[in-house]
Amino acid sequence: MLLVVVGIWPAGYALNLALTSFGGAFTGLTNFINTYNQGFLVPAFEHVATFMAIWLTALIVIVIGLSLVMHTLARRVSAPFRFLFYLPAAFAGSASVLVWLFMLQPGLSPWDFVLHMLGYKTLGDSLISGNLPIVYALIAFWTGAGSWILVIHGALANVPDEVLEAAALDGAGPVQTALRVKLPMIKKWIVYMLIVAFAGGTQLFAEPQLISQVSQRLVDPLWSPNTLATYLAFQYDNFNYAAAIAIDLLVVAVVCAGLLVFRTGLFKAD
Amino acid sequence: MRPVNISVRLDVSITPRPWSPRRLLARGAWRLIVLGVLAFAAIFFVVPIVWLLLESTRTGPQSQFGSPLGFGSFNQILANWQVLFSGLLGQTGTWLANSALYSGSGVLIAVGLGIPAGYGLAAFDFIGRRPLLIATMIAMLIPSNALVLPLVLEAHSLKVLSSPLAVILPYGLFPFGVYIAYLYFNTPRVHGLLAAARIDGCTEWQAFRAVALPLSTPVIGLVVVLDFIASWTNYFLPWAMYSAFDLPGRYPVTLGIAQQLMAGPSYGGGLLRDLQLQTTAPPSVEALLILVSCAPVIIVLLIAQRWIVSGRLQGVFV
Repeated sequence: MLLVVVGIWPAGYALNLALTSFGGAFTGLTNFINTYNQGFLVPAFEHVATFMAIWLTALIVIVIGLSLVMHTLARRVSAPFRFLFYLPAAFAGSASVLVWLFMLQPGLSPWDFVLHMLGYKTLGDSLISGNLPIVYALIAFWTGAGSWILVIHGALANVPDEVLEAAALDGAGPVQTALRVKLPMIKKWIVYMLIVAFAGGTQLFAEPQLISQVSQRLVDPLWSPNTLATYLAFQYDNFNYAAAIAIDLLVVAVVCAGLLVFRTGLFKAD
Repeated sequence: MRPVNISVRLDVSITPRPWSPRRLLARGAWRLIVLGVLAFAAIFFVVPIVWLLLESTRTGPQSQFGSPLGFGSFNQILANWQVLFSGLLGQTGTWLANSALYSGSGVLIAVGLGIPAGYGLAAFDFIGRRPLLIATMIAMLIPSNALVLPLVLEAHSLKVLSSPLAVILPYGLFPFGVYIAYLYFNTPRVHGLLAAARIDGCTEWQAFRAVALPLSTPVIGLVVVLDFIASWTNYFLPWAMYSAFDLPGRYPVTLGIAQQLMAGPSYGGGLLRDLQLQTTAPPSVEALLILVSCAPVIIVLLIAQRWIVSGRLQGVFV
């Protein structure tokens, strides 16, 4: 019931809005084509793609790397590390953005020496447009990586000991075991992580919205598809265009969810 | 005799060679590298939190002129606390109460609907059960942000944009709760218990109330923890429902934090390279605000870390 009221009905309503004009007449795909032609949507998706490239690479290299490294230690030794990595998840949402604005403000930041090395003197220097995807990836990584480390480490814990002993008997060193034995065995969890992170990444909102706000719009307020859509809806009252973008994003999300349900074999409906 | 011989031989072959000093050294070096890598990563994750803790003990001038990781005094925490709750940011209490109201009500709805729904899917075979299950899984894997704009459009048409319901009802939608309850109830053990209860003359309601419900406390715990964290830290949904319509009295604490960035006076020049961070209160008070607003989640994380991992491994991400 509730799924219908707050899940399917709004989606249907948005679809209806997306397909109609301001006056309510049915206009087919016009809104989709117009949002595309306006020239803001494609750059927004490109921005998010750049962010995603950094964020997903960091997930693959650092999250999997740290999990594999931790898996060579006793649980008792690695548990405190896992908790420390996960702790920033409590600051998800607007808190993490404010924290990182402090981290990027020369003079205040504990990373001042890094900012100094880069020659940054103001917050604005840290937020030049080429840096934005990196900054957003940093924030996403700070709040999100820990929980993915928990997942990958949990998956590694399910690799049977016999398999690891057999690998050791065959003369595999720790690096070989990690790359040739452990990685293939947790493949589906890695795919799961990447699809979920991808779907979440397309939804980027709090970071670009707040950073644009703090710079009084000197930083592009139309940076991501979601900030673009809310801008259209609330600054221009163009709910039809906003709905069209919302549907674009929802299609991406549903395709990702469908892939997870039907292709990875992680979820069962019987 | 022969099998014993074989096992003895195997044992011998598994026994590691005696440690030579060189191997010991190599192993020690390896461990040192591993711990070094982990410590390096831990610094990245922990330094911002350490900074928040230290910053909240300082005065305005101390954070402006002192070294970034300096300690102020414990008394200053109290002074900053007063600014937070009765001074400059007097609304902090309202924001926290709003957050508690929204996420608390959302969690109640999620449990109240999710557990019976999962039970229904597991205990009965009806037409449309499989499509319903698949719809539930798709819904739980869609990022919650994806539904925000459609929800705003719906709330706009229903004229409930400014009401707390506009946030509470979506927080109550927690398809993962349905799915995890379904998984939990759909085991041979629970099916057996339910069959026994029916043979003993229980009505369907009694079977749910007296057999299934008492069994489901772990599931309820998991739903409460995960939905609470997701709701408490949500920013986009309340932003879209309240912020654009200027309703600060309805703000949850995530929006309160965002508002700290709004009030700064404009800086000269209007050039990005001149931009400095402007917040309503000094950084030390803002640091304390962040810590206070995230404290409930930190406490839940401390208590329920294991549940969260198991939830994640089963497909929920908050």
